[in-house]
Amino acid sequence: MAQLADVTNEFIREEIEEYIQRPDEIERIVELFARVSPKMQDIAAAIIEGEDDVADELTQQALADGVDALEIMDDGLIAGMSIVGIKFREAFIFVPEVLACARAMKAGMGHIEPILSAAGVESQGTVIMGTVKGDLHDIGKNLCIMMLRGAGFTVHDLGVDVGEDTFIDAVEEHGAPILGMSALLTTTMPNMGKTIEAFIDADLREDVKIMVGGAPVTQEFADDMGADGYGKDALSCVSLAKSLMQEVKAESA
Amino acid sequence: MSTQNIAPMTSRERVLAALKREPVDRTPVCNPTSVATVELMDLVDAPFPDANRKADLMARLAATSYTELGFDTVMPVFTIIQESSALGCKIQWEKKDNWPTVRMTEPIWSKPEDIKIPADFMSHPDTRCVIDAIKILRKELGDEVAIIGKTMGPWSQGYHCFGVERFLLMSRDDPDKTKRCLDKLKDLTVAYGIAQFEAGADAVTLPDHATGDLVSGQYYDRYLLDLHTEFAERIPGPIILHICGRTVDRMDSIARTGMSAFHYDSKNGAQESMDVVKDRIALVGNINNPQTLFARGPEEVRKEVYENLDAGIHMVGPECAIPLQTSIENLKEIPLAVKDWHKEHTAAH
Repeated sequence: MAQLADVTNEFIREEIEEYIQRPDEIERIVELFARVSPKMQDIAAAIIEGEDDVADELTQQALADGVDALEIMDDGLIAGMSIVGIKFREAFIFVPEVLACARAMKAGMGHIEPILSAAGVESQGTVIMGTVKGDLHDIGKNLCIMMLRGAGFTVHDLGVDVGEDTFIDAVEEHGAPILGMSALLTTTMPNMGKTIEAFIDADLREDVKIMVGGAPVTQEFADDMGADGYGKDALSCVSLAKSLMQEVKAESA
Repeated sequence: MSTQNIAPMTSRERVLAALKREPVDRTPVCNPTSVATVELMDLVDAPFPDANRKADLMARLAATSYTELGFDTVMPVFTIIQESSALGCKIQWEKKDNWPTVRMTEPIWSKPEDIKIPADFMSHPDTRCVIDAIKILRKELGDEVAIIGKTMGPWSQGYHCFGVERFLLMSRDDPDKTKRCLDKLKDLTVAYGIAQFEAGADAVTLPDHATGDLVSGQYYDRYLLDLHTEFAERIPGPIILHICGRTVDRMDSIARTGMSAFHYDSKNGAQESMDVVKDRIALVGNINNPQTLFARGPEEVRKEVYENLDAGIHMVGPECAIPLQTSIENLKEIPLAVKDWHKEHTAAH
């Protein structure tokens, strides 16, 4: 089993010591960073610190040095975001800091995505994402989309203020097995339930797994509405999408 | 809050006393944000979006809070976008069944130097209608009921005018620049608040969404504590600060601002909130909107009202502006439950 001392980057060691508290997460994160190269640890550190110019430069340098794009994405960018996600979940950092980290990840992904796209890496699945009707907030949704894309999902972003029909059309058009809806306002949350009802009315509810999230949304509310899953933050959104995809595969097997 | 041996009060007297944390005959029922619903719009023929833009409809819809629901306050400013409209933000006014919103994806400013307050800000139709609605309400309802106005805080205004993401990133990247923005916007908050008191408001709500869902408690201290203290000094009347989400970590600071009340969210327990603020500021809230008022029945509403009263909350009401499809039955349950709680507790003494 890897030890904290096996992580060569001092900043990342300090981050793990200070912010990661669950034993299973300590073990997983230490294993991860003990395995990855010092260059990838540097990229992850730039993500955690929200330094977009550093992330941009180090990603370009790593590619120029011949490091595989997928390795940079998984072991550098996403590895960094995994610590960011835990810090956010535990309220060590808040949205401004997460936005800066996301900006850094975006800078790195700007170099990675075209390479992965050209290489035709197989998608983990297709997800339709949007903020519900009447709600123009998209920070959380955009973070989820970035993390989903980083995890290999194909995501179609419908933007904000999305009506029921638009959600239905997009799911049908792309044959998407997963739909993600976001709402920031308690006044617009009911529109998630209306959308789910619209899928039932259109006889399409069985064809799609629906996940919901947003600051005021809770597991209880998601259950009441008949959603298939609730994600508290961008990290849980990714694990939820993965488990929903497994369900889809199991059901169609 | 003491309720023993107090002569019957009017709704207005009750609210004004509660805002000063003085004894009341019973706990007032109050929503300092909005209780507008589609049912109420139909009842008095004052639908959105016109009820957000025409003073007579605005006043008519606001009055239903007192006349139909039995609340002790009326609040004619159903939205948080009146000032943003006057500042030049693009507004999506929507229809009867949806809230109007600012198109924050199309921000009007990107740096402090961009901030220009239009000369016609106070006479713009979307700010003027609030002033006129308050005057109508005062004339029609007299001194029976408390009239609450609303003036947006500079942090919320920053979201609208700079875009939420850009404003939050600015706050992380460049605190001095952020403070200059807030400083340039603060006089607007004060001026619009004063104008509403002059029109006849008894109190103003000041929404400033430095919520725990977005920023830390340290952020509140860094950016808003001094500003909110300044508002309490410069605006000549009771101010009810409104911040959604989890806020217990900043309630101690909020209690030190000198504001009269804090409108708090159901993400904060009633008792834990009272324990933090002690007797330094009145608390208003915190009946859950989406799960209780919108989706459950009167029994669940009553339970949450009782929890607030048991904790000694000064004014009871919904946690925030309520979903427009909320049933009147659930809203009426709030004052009924408050009255029953007081009857039970008077009988017990």
